[in-house]
Amino acid sequence: MEFPIAGVTVNPIMLAGIGFIVGLLGGFFGVGGGFLAAPFMFWSGVPMNFVVGTDVAHMTGKSIVAAKRHRALGHVDIKLGFLMVVGTIVGVEIGAQIIERLESAGNVDIVIGIAYIVILLTISAFTAWESIRALKMVRTDKINVKDAVGFKGLSTRVHGIKLRPMVSFPYSGIESISLWTVLGVGFITGVLSGALGVGGGFIRMPLLVYLIGVPTHVAVGTDLFEIVFSAGYGTLTHALKGNVDILMALVMQTGAALGAQIGATSTRFFAGPRIRLFFSALPVFGAIMVIIRLLTGVGAVH
Amino acid sequence: MKNILGTPKRWAFVRNMLIEVVVYAVLLIIYFLAVLRLLGGFLLDLFNNQLIVYAFIGLGLIVTQGIVLESLTSYLIRLLRLDRFD
Repeated sequence: MEFPIAGVTVNPIMLAGIGFIVGLLGGFFGVGGGFLAAPFMFWSGVPMNFVVGTDVAHMTGKSIVAAKRHRALGHVDIKLGFLMVVGTIVGVEIGAQIIERLESAGNVDIVIGIAYIVILLTISAFTAWESIRALKMVRTDKINVKDAVGFKGLSTRVHGIKLRPMVSFPYSGIESISLWTVLGVGFITGVLSGALGVGGGFIRMPLLVYLIGVPTHVAVGTDLFEIVFSAGYGTLTHALKGNVDILMALVMQTGAALGAQIGATSTRFFAGPRIRLFFSALPVFGAIMVIIRLLTGVGAVH
Repeated sequence: MKNILGTPKRWAFVRNMLIEVVVYAVLLIIYFLAVLRLLGGFLLDLFNNQLIVYAFIGLGLIVTQGIVLESLTSYLIRLLRLDRFD
């Protein structure tokens, strides 16, 4: 099928297939999946300038499908999601500006890339360790597997920070937490997104669980809800720069919609620690993609 | 995993999921041929001449398709009783 805006001919079934895989992962883990889709699109022959913008556009639609499904399952904390969006959008803008300024001073991609790889691998190792610990606790302490978290010290300390204004998230079972903590989590993931051109899902989801103390299923759904807005904002800004092939995004979204539905529905069959254990493999793939980007330039947005 | 894959419902779940994929794939091919080909010329014209309008229409299309596809896939899931395998 010809895509006249990007000026390429790509098999639409293949694009829908890429969307399906990314949608499946996104619906299950609450991540955008841009780190996976972008290289596949590039290797399919899509010009680099259209890869990132089109990927963000399809992510918007996919997240709508997955977030609606999670909402139906009771996994979305709307209030928390909206507050995170504020922090994320400010962070994305600042991250992009920081990069622009640093780039004029020299090659910063390698420094940021290595820092990002370290962060991803740390998250992966920590999540794997914690989820295995939680599963052991379920066996030895006979606690409810759905609520088991192997490391609660961090969120307990974060809840103890009394920096006003304080907010509550009854839906997530959080009685009181500083608003600045919530905005800060959104901001940090936004800065990383803006700096590296990737969605912050695989950083935000664990931060929601371990730092803010949100149950895993709600963290997945809320993260997707947040991505709807941050990716929608990204779609507009990329489209205004002429970097989005909407036709291609619509085709990818058809596959992603089905994948996201199946992924989101599947979360009901797995307890929180098990979802986190599976999730721990994702940042490793993310790190590999960053390494490929640093070595080949595939997926770079600057 | 044991909850779903370790029960006799496993094969019914997988079978119904495959039926959904096949039904959905047929609908997609019709959609590719009927709708997206028609949209191509219109969107290309907007992209070349009115980028701001293109950006907003593009976002509108993505959001609209997301909502429509969510309704369609939810309907298929209900139709095939995939939401009752818990």
